[in-house]
Amino acid sequence: MSRQIVLILLLGALFAVFTMSIIELEGLYNAFGKEYFLEYGQSDTGSNNLVTAILLDYRLFDSLFEAGILLIAVSGVIWISKHDIEEKNARFMIDKFKTPDLFITFSRLVYPLMLAFGFYVIVNGHLSPGGGFQGGTIVATAILILYYIDADKETNIGLIVTVEKIVYLLIIVLASVSIVTRGTFFTNFFPLDATQDTKAIYLVLLNVLIGFKVALGLWTIFTAFLKEGR
Amino acid sequence: MNPILTFLVVLIGFYGLSTSDNVIKSVFSVTIIESGVILLFLNLGNFEGGAIPILSEGVTQIVDPLPQALMITTIVIGSTVTALSLMLCIKVFHHYGTVEWKEVLSREDVKS
Repeated sequence: MSRQIVLILLLGALFAVFTMSIIELEGLYNAFGKEYFLEYGQSDTGSNNLVTAILLDYRLFDSLFEAGILLIAVSGVIWISKHDIEEKNARFMIDKFKTPDLFITFSRLVYPLMLAFGFYVIVNGHLSPGGGFQGGTIVATAILILYYIDADKETNIGLIVTVEKIVYLLIIVLASVSIVTRGTFFTNFFPLDATQDTKAIYLVLLNVLIGFKVALGLWTIFTAFLKEGR
Repeated sequence: MNPILTFLVVLIGFYGLSTSDNVIKSVFSVTIIESGVILLFLNLGNFEGGAIPILSEGVTQIVDPLPQALMITTIVIGSTVTALSLMLCIKVFHHYGTVEWKEVLSREDVKS
């Protein structure tokens, strides 16, 4: 009991320190970055969505290693989960929990819609809210429903991870093309004065690759968990 | 949202991290701390009546897109860290037969 009182006191002290420093936090922020993105963002990158503009052009270096961390985590999950029993499908899982028929029927109905919505979010990442990471997650969720529709579906994790690594290399290559055409790394490879529609080709390509990679990665993680749940 | 409220979320996560007996609850506490940090950053460039940072005709008052772009990184990394930790929890359960901190730490082979 006394430990909890000490803990609450410590957390209260932290809270007091934060409350005192909150005034400095307000002064820390300025809107210069926003003004810049508002004025030049669209003409620089060809993206209406300024978050995508930052993610795929201004700070592409960040996004590359963000995708790399996902790949490393997927490799880690597979490496940790390695064991003797090699389950090929989700049949044992479905039998254990007795999925209702209603759920399976509705999954069949919803599955194509989810897949189409995921692709829509990926391809329109530069025009509307969304992008590679968000759309890839939706596509991965749609693929996971397949385990309920078809419990005998077999997944080869090694093949998926190999494809994911190749896609990641493609992303790095596509991001590095600009060293030839523009002279700088990790930006749009079309010249700066190209029209917005031309620049959008690069954004759509990169969004599709990132979405593909994220979908494969999350699919692998889920399959690894499924195999553990025996 | 007020920054103080976001820090309260972080404190709730700290409290859960310090008091939880279950390994899985500790992982969830880390997730709660991360949510607090995300809220704090999204709060930075936000203001009343600001539009989403997607340019179209007649849009001049937008919220700052930079914190939102940074928080995508945080969300992706947080989800991968959670997945990795939960996989470690499963391994702990398979090896020791329990996910309670005290029971795991009281085992003979754990003490160094």
